[in-house]
Parts: sequence; C-alpha cells; structure tokens
Amino acid sequence: MIEPVALADFFMSFFTAALIILTAVVYVALYTWAEVKHKRLVKYASWFVYAALIGCVLLFSLIMHLNGYWQILSVLMALGYWWMPRLILRLCVATHEEDEG
Amino acid sequence: MSSQAINSSVTLATRPFSMDKLNGGQKLAIHYFTVAMILFIAQLLFGLLAGMQYLMPDFLYNTLDFNVNRMVHINAMIVWMLYGFIGSIYWFLEDESGVEIVGLKLGKIAFWVLTVAVTIVVLVYLLVQTGSGTERSIWLINEGREYIEAPRWADIGIVAVMLVFFYNVAATFSKGKWSGIAGVLTLDLIALAGLYIAGMFYTTNISVDQYWWWWVIHLWVEATWEVLVGCIMAWSLMTLLGVRRKIVQTWLYIEVALMFGSGILGLGHHYFWIGTPEYWLTIGGFFSALEPIPLVAMVVHSIYDSGVHHFKTRNHPAFAWIIAHAFGNFFGAGVWGFMHTLPQINLYTHGTQWSASHGHLAFFGAYATINIAFFYLAVQKMRDDCWMGGNMPDNGWKWKAAMVLLNLGVVGMTVALLIAGYEQSFIERAVEGSSWGGYFAAQSHPWFIQAMTWRMVFGVMTFIGGILLFWDLLTIGKTEPRTAEVASQ
Repeated sequence: MIEPVALADFFMSFFTAALIILTAVVYVALYTWAEVKHKRLVKYASWFVYAALIGCVLLFSLIMHLNGYWQILSVLMALGYWWMPRLILRLCVATHEEDEG
Repeated sequence: MSSQAINSSVTLATRPFSMDKLNGGQKLAIHYFTVAMILFIAQLLFGLLAGMQYLMPDFLYNTLDFNVNRMVHINAMIVWMLYGFIGSIYWFLEDESGVEIVGLKLGKIAFWVLTVAVTIVVLVYLLVQTGSGTERSIWLINEGREYIEAPRWADIGIVAVMLVFFYNVAATFSKGKWSGIAGVLTLDLIALAGLYIAGMFYTTNISVDQYWWWWVIHLWVEATWEVLVGCIMAWSLMTLLGVRRKIVQTWLYIEVALMFGSGILGLGHHYFWIGTPEYWLTIGGFFSALEPIPLVAMVVHSIYDSGVHHFKTRNHPAFAWIIAHAFGNFFGAGVWGFMHTLPQINLYTHGTQWSASHGHLAFFGAYATINIAFFYLAVQKMRDDCWMGGNMPDNGWKWKAAMVLLNLGVVGMTVALLIAGYEQSFIERAVEGSSWGGYFAAQSHPWFIQAMTWRMVFGVMTFIGGILLFWDLLTIGKTEPRTAEVASQ
C-alpha cells in the first residue's frame, strides 16, 4: 500500500525529485572531471554536491512516505549514484585503452 | 589552409542538390527524410490548432474538433519520427554492410505503400473523423486507441512495411558483413514489428485493453526506439567525430543492458491506475527510478571524452543537434520523468498537462533532435560533400536561428505546460478529488489559462523555427565553395 504525498508537500515533492537528478548529474560531472584532470579541489566539490544529493534523497523519502520496503529505493539511490560514476568511468577508461596507448 | 585561400582557389558558384554520389539506400533515405520533414511541419501546425482551441474553445468547433487536431498532431509526430529512423538506417545500411541493399525495389514499394497509407489515414481523420461503434469503424476509420488511432487495415500495412524493412536490413547484413551495430539493429527491428501487434487486437475489458496497448506505447518509445536511436547515434558518432567502432559498439551493448534493466519494467508506471494488481505500484516505482541511470552515465562519458579527446567536426549543424539531443533527452526524460514517476505523486499528476509537459520535452530531446541531425548529414552529402563547419557564407544564421527558436520554443512550451499540469494536479486531483467539478475548476483557473496562453506563444515560436529549419535544409551549402575534405585540412 502506498501513502500519497500530503497537499502541503506537493511542491517539495517535485522540487526534491528534480534536485536529485540535477545534483546527481553535477556530482558525477565534477567527480569525472576531477578524476580525468586530477583536480583535488574539484573532487572535494563533488563530495559536497553528493552530500546535497543525500539531503535531497532524505527529504524526498520523507515527503513521498517511502516507508517499509520502499526505503530500499532510497538506499539504492544513495548508493547507486555514489558507485555508478566510478563504474562508468572504469568502462570509459577500458573502452578507450587503445587511444591512451 | 586559410578559408580565404580556399575561397580564392575554388570558383564553384552554386552546389545544386545531387543524387549522383548517393548509393541506393541513401537515395531511398532521401524520400523518407522528405516525407518526415513534411509531417514534422504538419505536426507543428496541428499542434498550433489544438493549442488555440484551449484558448478559444469555439475555434473550428464542429469542423475540426480538438480531438481530431490532437490526434493528427500526435500521429504525425510518431510517423515522422519513424520515417526519420527508417531513412537514417537506409542511409548507412550499405556503408555498414559493405554491399548493395538486398531487396531495394521491395523497399521502394514499401515506402510508397506506407506513404499512400499515411495520406489516406490522415484524409480519413480529417474528412470522415468518426463512425458508428462497430467493427467497420475499427477497420476503416479509427481504431480508437490514443496515439495509435490508425484503422486496422493501416495497422496491418504498418506491420507489413516494418517486416519488409526488417528483411532489407537482415538480408543485406547477411549478404555483406555483420557488426555489433548490425546485430543490435536487426534484433531491435524484430521487436519493433512484433510489439506493434500487441496494439492490434480488441478486448471489451478496458484494463486488459490498456495493458496491451501500453506494450506498444511504452515498449516502442522507451525500449525499441531508444535502441534504434542508439544504433543511429553510434554510426553518426563514427561519421561525425571519427570515434572508433569498438568504443561505440561497446557503449551500444551497455545501453541495451541498461535498457533491459530499467526501461522494460519501467512499463509498470503506466499500470498504476488502470486496474492492474497492486504489485505494479512497486515494480513501476522501482524500475522507473532506475531509468535516469543511463542518462547520468552518459554525462560521465561526455565529461571523460571532452577532457581526454579533442574532436573536430565538419558538420556543425548536425553536431549541434546531437548535443541538443543529449541535453533534451536528459532533461525531458530524466528530470521531467522522475519528478512524477513514483505512484505517491503520480496519483495526482497522471494524465494531466504534466504528462504533456514531459512528453513534449522528452520526445523532442530524445528523438526529434537526432532525426534533424541526420537530415543535416544527408544534406551535406547531397551538396557534394560541402563544408558545413565554421565560417559558412551566411555565417550559418539560418540553422543557428532555427535551432534557437525550436529549442526555446519547446522548452517554453514545456515550462508552460508544467505550470498548467501543476495547477491541474493540485486543484483538480488533490483538492477536488478528481471530480467533474474539480475538472472545470482547474480548467478555468487563471494559472491554467495563463499557462496555456504562454504555451501558444512558444508554440508559434516552435512553428517559426520549424519553417526556418525546412528553409535551411533546402538552402544550406548551396553557395559554399569549399568541400569538407579541403576545408578541414
């Protein structure tokens, strides 16, 4: 059974959902740029944005009443967005190996 | 070599369109692209008429009602995109397979059959419009399912044409050489033709009917079309930027894997409220939340490539539209999709202008852009492989202005529809409990009316952009003296 969003949280539900995707993109962009160009400061910035992403996921989960097994979705989002750029970057490096060589 | 030096060494006054350097598949592709572009303009025109009817409900009342304009608007979109995809594949089929297309004559016949069928269907939509609630109407006038209203005879024709197309592709690769792109494309075409059949049978139970109907709508758009575009994009990147085949093919496989992981069961977000079992809330919610992953992964690869490589392209319009594709796909499908995909909020937004907002940006970003990019690739070759990079004779103002107008227009419509959809979700659904009174309260609310007025303004902007694009495709490269190869040296 699901519990719909409360009227008072209507706007925040859309806003946090959009922010999850946008902060995720900024995070992966900064992370990748930091790895490719070896920029330590940019990497710290990516962690900062990731912290904002976690904040959005928490708020989103509260507003959307992600209770019970729906909490798995919140955990998946938090962990998935952390690991995904690392895995994709490995694939990038591996598929471009001949270019680098 | 400087552009001045090239200009002085070449005395070519104009470059007429020429089919001489095109292979058989490319000549057929030009037919598909031409019809696609005409249907694109038709889509914009009927969208304007439907948009106007929100502001002036009496406009064309009983002559060309809203339901007809909306139907032609959406059907034209689906068909022009399909024409664009088929044309793009015919365009690269001989280059990719290394042999002449098998059954090209059959392919030409299929093109004319499809085009005549589309013309008849549109004329029936416009002139006959409705029929009695009998099997005869389903077969001859309108099947009655949103987005795939084509009557049964045309449905059968579409599947037949898709099978001919599949035969052309599979037989050509079988005769020539197979590649990763070829394999993925061929398998995808089986799904493309097969899934359409799910929308062709009729049941009296609306839940069962909608269940199968979504197989066509969702699985075409978010599975088979995505893979089709992946194949077209892979080939375009090799042609435009010289990316190695191994890289694009590996990423094509990754895309297919991600699509299987998220897109297919993301179908569940359409099953929330049609009378299907409750477990679809969980399946739809979870897998829809995974759908932005391929788009975010795309960002990693783009940043990696821009940091490590320095690509040059000789076709700026095509490349610019591919960049627009990446952004449009990300925002339209990713951000706009995720905002209302979980059942906890979708309960209120489903089927409101919010869906239309998401649909406008996602379809334009994911599919219209890639087709337009391919049109520019085709035009370049038809102009004897002219230079389409920087410093064009008119500074390329037409393609730049068309691009700005089309993108701004679509983004503007998306935001306006978002405001209208938000207001509908809130007032009609959440406050008034989806009642009949709530529907009218939402429709007559100032927010809704103002949003629809702004949608009209941006709709006109999009239409002007479309006309400019058409003009540019007919004229770009006409007075360009440089060939692409010389100018890029």
